[in-house]
Amino acid sequence: MTSPQTRIALSRRHRPVQQLLPLPDETMDDGALAAARETFARQRRLALRTFAGLAVLLLGLSGLLAALPVLDRVPVGTVPASWLLLMAASYPMLLVIAALHVRAAERVEDTAARHRPPPRPGAPPGPDDGPPR
Amino acid sequence: MTGLLAIGLLLAASMLIGVYGVRAARSTPDFLVASQEVKPTWNALAIAGEYVSAASVLGLAGLMLKHGIGTLWYAVGFTAGYVVVAALVAGPMRRSGAYTVPDFADYRLGSQRIRKLCAVIVLVIMWLYLIPQFKGAGVVLHLVSGTPYWVGVVLAGLVVSVSILAGGMRSATYVQGFHYLVKLVFIAVPALVLLASAGPDGRAEALHVDLTAWSRPLLDLDNSGEPLLATWSVLIATTLGAAGLPHVIMRFSTTATARAARRVAVWVIVLLGLFYLFPAVYGLLGRVFTPELATEGDTDTVTVVLPGAMLPGTWGAVLTALVAAGAFAAFLSTSSGLLLALAGGLSHDLSRTGATGVGRLRLAVAAGALVAVLLSLPAAAVDINVLVGWAFAVAASTFCPLLVLGIWWRGLTAAGAAAGLAAGVCASTGAALASAVTDVPHGWVVVLLAQPAAWTVPLAFAVMYGVSRLGTPPEWAERAVLRLHTPDSADQPRG
Repeated sequence: MTSPQTRIALSRRHRPVQQLLPLPDETMDDGALAAARETFARQRRLALRTFAGLAVLLLGLSGLLAALPVLDRVPVGTVPASWLLLMAASYPMLLVIAALHVRAAERVEDTAARHRPPPRPGAPPGPDDGPPR
Repeated sequence: MTGLLAIGLLLAASMLIGVYGVRAARSTPDFLVASQEVKPTWNALAIAGEYVSAASVLGLAGLMLKHGIGTLWYAVGFTAGYVVVAALVAGPMRRSGAYTVPDFADYRLGSQRIRKLCAVIVLVIMWLYLIPQFKGAGVVLHLVSGTPYWVGVVLAGLVVSVSILAGGMRSATYVQGFHYLVKLVFIAVPALVLLASAGPDGRAEALHVDLTAWSRPLLDLDNSGEPLLATWSVLIATTLGAAGLPHVIMRFSTTATARAARRVAVWVIVLLGLFYLFPAVYGLLGRVFTPELATEGDTDTVTVVLPGAMLPGTWGAVLTALVAAGAFAAFLSTSSGLLLALAGGLSHDLSRTGATGVGRLRLAVAAGALVAVLLSLPAAAVDINVLVGWAFAVAASTFCPLLVLGIWWRGLTAAGAAAGLAAGVCASTGAALASAVTDVPHGWVVVLLAQPAAWTVPLAFAVMYGVSRLGTPPEWAERAVLRLHTPDSADQPRG
């Protein structure tokens, strides 16, 4: 009767302290290294773009409400427009930003996986490798 | 009494689901394999269940009653944090195989000292976050049963520690998911009933815009006169802080793959966006029906007090009981997650040998809860959201830069990370302490002390970057970073 986190906390004591994961593959060949660098660069550009979008949304929406006090007196139905923007408008936009990012990031990964060289026989499984399906 | 009964039923239901969940999880020997059988939507429910705390259920409406409609920026920031989690942290963090932030620091920087420094910061953030949860429990128990505040706080500490020590309470993802649903339903349904019973006049009055600062959709802290700066600082703290909260990061290691971790973060945004539509109702109606709370009394009680004030008799009592149970679920799921992350830091990362047993983890849970209870006793008068805002500010000024630079920049060095973490934690806690003990009359200094994220986050990033540039990262650093972004077989789409 232990929680997931408790089991995680307990299982950690079985692992060597210094080295959590096998160190990165020393013998990565030049082609694989270049491909990994390319994937990383693409993901980083995407992350920067998403973060910029998020900053524009949050700082922009609050800036808009600060710059246009008139929105407090424009009713949408019975609710002031500025209140409605604050209470409900940002959540769908946050969802759109996140969903677009996840879709784009998965596409980058799919492209990377298609160009991935086949694993050498006997290579240790990576941390993500699940059980055989 | 109905309130106590509702809280008792909530505890019993959590226990039942916990026992059922244990059986489901025990069907496979290894937890991480078992977790792959949990659907991403359940995982998202569990994360949202752990995340929606007393700050959301009680604190938002309370601070809104006191300071105005702009308080809702806290909710926007709490949700926006998961965009940062999805975009910058979740996938690579899952791929690193690290369970906690100290683990990640160890993987990425290969330094035991950084691990210990991170563990100390985990303690700071978790205690700052636990105090308002315990305060919420003390306040709710006082309202529904009349016991003094300290009795509620001590009882809360006991319930949470025992529930973790016994293990059955939150033994499964399902308990956390169940608590999200409890919070959503027990806050949303009374909100809709109260809106209906307020009548057209009551609703019109609640939506009336007057010329005071209360009606401005910006968050002014301590009447600083700088509402836009204050709003931005709160947004920076909550958005970036969510990406650095140790108990949130820990939860993502229960997803099956990096890809699933990202998708789970997106589902969390849906669940949080839905929940945060409702606390505002209590703030708006509270201003009309319980205005006396704003001048005398504790505004953090408005969510529990309002139903009784608007609807005398049985219906009021029933709604009060629902809301109290929702608040208790918020307290229970969040603080057990916090306490467990805290205990993990105490017993694993800070221990000298590195090898710990069940006994030591249990001792750490008890010690962590005791300190949190002692710190919460004098905190009755402090607003829940102010304290939670500080916890987010510390996380945003420490672990956010560590994770973001560690994941996306190969040049980060152990020295740079240590300097940035130290600068961030000292600046953010120092500013919060200064704002609590000093009395600056007006202006931007007030904002930068009361919610320091606007300057402490850039400071931490700058120090980490600058000090790292002075040294050279180890030659394996690039491969350690690249691996966080390289898909492997488990990430492949099936078929």
